[in-house]
Amino acid sequence: MSKHAKDVEEEAKADMTPMIDAVFLLIIFFLCIDFKVLEAKLPAYLPKDKGSNNDDTPPIEQLSLKIICQQEGTPAERRPGSNSKNNTMLVGHVVRWELGPKRYDDLDKLKDDLTDIANDPRRRVPDLKNPGKMKIMPIVIEPQPKTTYGDVATTVDAVSAAKFEEINFGGGRGAK
Amino acid sequence: MDMTPMIDCVFLLMIFFVLVIDLSQQDLEDLILPEAKYAVPDENPPDVRPIINIAQDGRMIFKNNPYYNPAEHGATDKQAEPHIRRLLLEWKDKYVKDKTVENLGGRKVTVINDPVLVRADKWTEWHYVGLFMTICSQQTDAAFWKLELAMSEEDKEVKLFGGKR
Repeated sequence: MSKHAKDVEEEAKADMTPMIDAVFLLIIFFLCIDFKVLEAKLPAYLPKDKGSNNDDTPPIEQLSLKIICQQEGTPAERRPGSNSKNNTMLVGHVVRWELGPKRYDDLDKLKDDLTDIANDPRRRVPDLKNPGKMKIMPIVIEPQPKTTYGDVATTVDAVSAAKFEEINFGGGRGAK
Repeated sequence: MDMTPMIDCVFLLMIFFVLVIDLSQQDLEDLILPEAKYAVPDENPPDVRPIINIAQDGRMIFKNNPYYNPAEHGATDKQAEPHIRRLLLEWKDKYVKDKTVENLGGRKVTVINDPVLVRADKWTEWHYVGLFMTICSQQTDAAFWKLELAMSEEDKEVKLFGGKR
């Protein structure tokens, strides 16, 4: 082999070390960052109208769903020794639901019954925004003391899955 | 082959992504949200939507700033109201587009029809979320009445810490 050909062969050899370093750094970076879990959303409404009102509109029938804390639960650390201000979880926290007079301990059973109500044409109420039409009865969620955001949000999730469109909040706010 | 420029570029890209990720997450506090089974994914959020974060101790945080802290400001409605009201007025002026003046119960009320996204930790007492909601609906000059409750596609508490509901 001539000297010239040998030189060309040496020039073509790239040093891969820095590229591998960079690739490893990228791998470490992507392993370390905490990918945010996709968030979901649920619509809910507050009473828009308040104060005394002279309107002659008839009151609309609505379902009342109470969330009652049965066992508050024992506070425990999520991550032992962490300084985070959101480091508490409640072990053994139990809630139940009351839909009118009926009591539920299982959210899935509640959701099934709510679905039946939403699908029952006899339980429809007049839609004041569209005169002459009927709509699914509104539902009022009433969280009682010691209930948590998790209890309420999962309940709203089930109510929403049962196809209720108008979800309102009432019954105070779970006073401390 | 000189690899130095490529490594420079890679480092610049890394720094860029680190900064971009940090900026896009400044609205979101590090809370563990309850798990959603049926809720709609928040895939196309509006350009401008106020997001309130409510921590376990009741602090109400907007863009990393705690506007209301029960331990510092007091826990009664009267003590909370001016701090939360300050935030609502800021939202009304800077963040919302759909607002109308309506006559409700004989009073003129500025009704905000854009929703607020409420993010609270799954173990935050509902009392604090209810307090925020009550004050939202009571303002005559910035009555927010539409809310969206944030949930998560998976229960991070179970995933990270093995917690149980």
